[in-house]
Amino acid sequence: MTVPCPLPTRRAVLALPAALVLAAGPARAATAPAAFIRATGEALVKVLNGPDPEAEKSAALQRIIDARVDVAGIARFCLGRFWRVATPAERTEYEKLFRRVLVLNVTAKVGAYKGVAFAIGRAVPRAEGTMVATTVTRPGQAPAEVDWLVKPVDGRDRIIDVVAEGTSLRVTQRSDYASYISRHGGDVGALIAALRHQVGRTG
Amino acid sequence: MRAVRPWKFLLPALAGLALSACATPPPASHKQARAEFERTNDPLEPTNRVFYKVNNVLDEALLRPAAVAYKDVLPDPAREGVHNVLTNLATPMTLANDMLSGRPRLAGTSFMRFLINTTLGGLGLFDVAAKLGYPAHSTDFGETLAIWGVPEGPYLYLPVFGPSDPRDALGEGVGIAGDPLGWVGTGTVVTALRWSRTGISALDARSRVLGEISAVKRTALDPYATFRSLYRQHRRAQIAKLRAATGGTVPAWYPAPQGTHP
Repeated sequence: MTVPCPLPTRRAVLALPAALVLAAGPARAATAPAAFIRATGEALVKVLNGPDPEAEKSAALQRIIDARVDVAGIARFCLGRFWRVATPAERTEYEKLFRRVLVLNVTAKVGAYKGVAFAIGRAVPRAEGTMVATTVTRPGQAPAEVDWLVKPVDGRDRIIDVVAEGTSLRVTQRSDYASYISRHGGDVGALIAALRHQVGRTG
Repeated sequence: MRAVRPWKFLLPALAGLALSACATPPPASHKQARAEFERTNDPLEPTNRVFYKVNNVLDEALLRPAAVAYKDVLPDPAREGVHNVLTNLATPMTLANDMLSGRPRLAGTSFMRFLINTTLGGLGLFDVAAKLGYPAHSTDFGETLAIWGVPEGPYLYLPVFGPSDPRDALGEGVGIAGDPLGWVGTGTVVTALRWSRTGISALDARSRVLGEISAVKRTALDPYATFRSLYRQHRRAQIAKLRAATGGTVPAWYPAPQGTHP
């Protein structure tokens, strides 16, 4: 029967420096995105639980989105195969509208997130970036598992996807847009018109 | 007398409609569109969209207003108690699926949850087990089939039941037919209780996603496609979680094999 040894064995002591060297690479790659998400989460929580009126909170959220989310990259991902068929003018217009819709969808929920808190979980390297797990708690709600996909964009960490309870924001959005465009004869212009309508209706 | 089982009538009707309306795939020359069609894997889309509309009408007219009223009338703790009772009644089925999918740790948790919550938890009214370190989870027969290697298959939108696929539709059927509580007793009272449970379960489930479903309908350009994507992603995540839950139930006194750490 093996008994847990309270003191490190000789072999463990000798192996320690090697293990540290081996771990340094991937560990550093994973801790930076985790620290980035911690800072982002703290900034979000501070705004959402702060005393400011909703209009100011929305403006603050917008600044956090612009500084920490790769909005242009997500926009391009969500257009999928239609990005290539879109004209340069359509692309510019689409990116602009995409950002407005994203900001509107996020800021619409300001009130519902009062009292929000989060805990950082594991950071796991993935093909597209590093997935940082968090558990988000709100008063009167079951805790939600929210994962953040982080990738360096132009040398700075940026959020490129949010996965809530196993559902990816950008994958869901891409399905929505792809289906809408396909049902409108493959016309990116139809999507742009619909987004413009959304922005006009809610904003 | 046996209870009327609506799906017995719905399934042939569904099959008939499914055969009559299939989506036309894009021509093979249009490679990207064709690839997307195959990835979407929704060959019955025209029929599915009809059922989506029907369910939507039923939801707007009946289920959603009832769920809103349920949430308005009953205070939070009461609804929480109802939810706990329903979860506890579903635990034997979760336990069966934990075992069928070969997940002893989960099965142990389900067993302890049912034991603790049925007794200390006042017939399931309070989730005492969660506070004692046995958190809630649910495993259904659709997930068990996935662990057994049954493929997901094309997307299905079922009347009343909503988003599904052949594997989950079969899982749903087995889940209803195989529920131990469905075997207990006969007579009008038992039938009435069983239908009440179905009705309250629907109210409980719907009232817990009021905001989420409204948000999707408000923000999605094509809610049908968005719900399809959300359903599949959510199911795949649940199955991946179950697949990874391979923890054993080795007693503390059992000698650990050499070279492994707890």
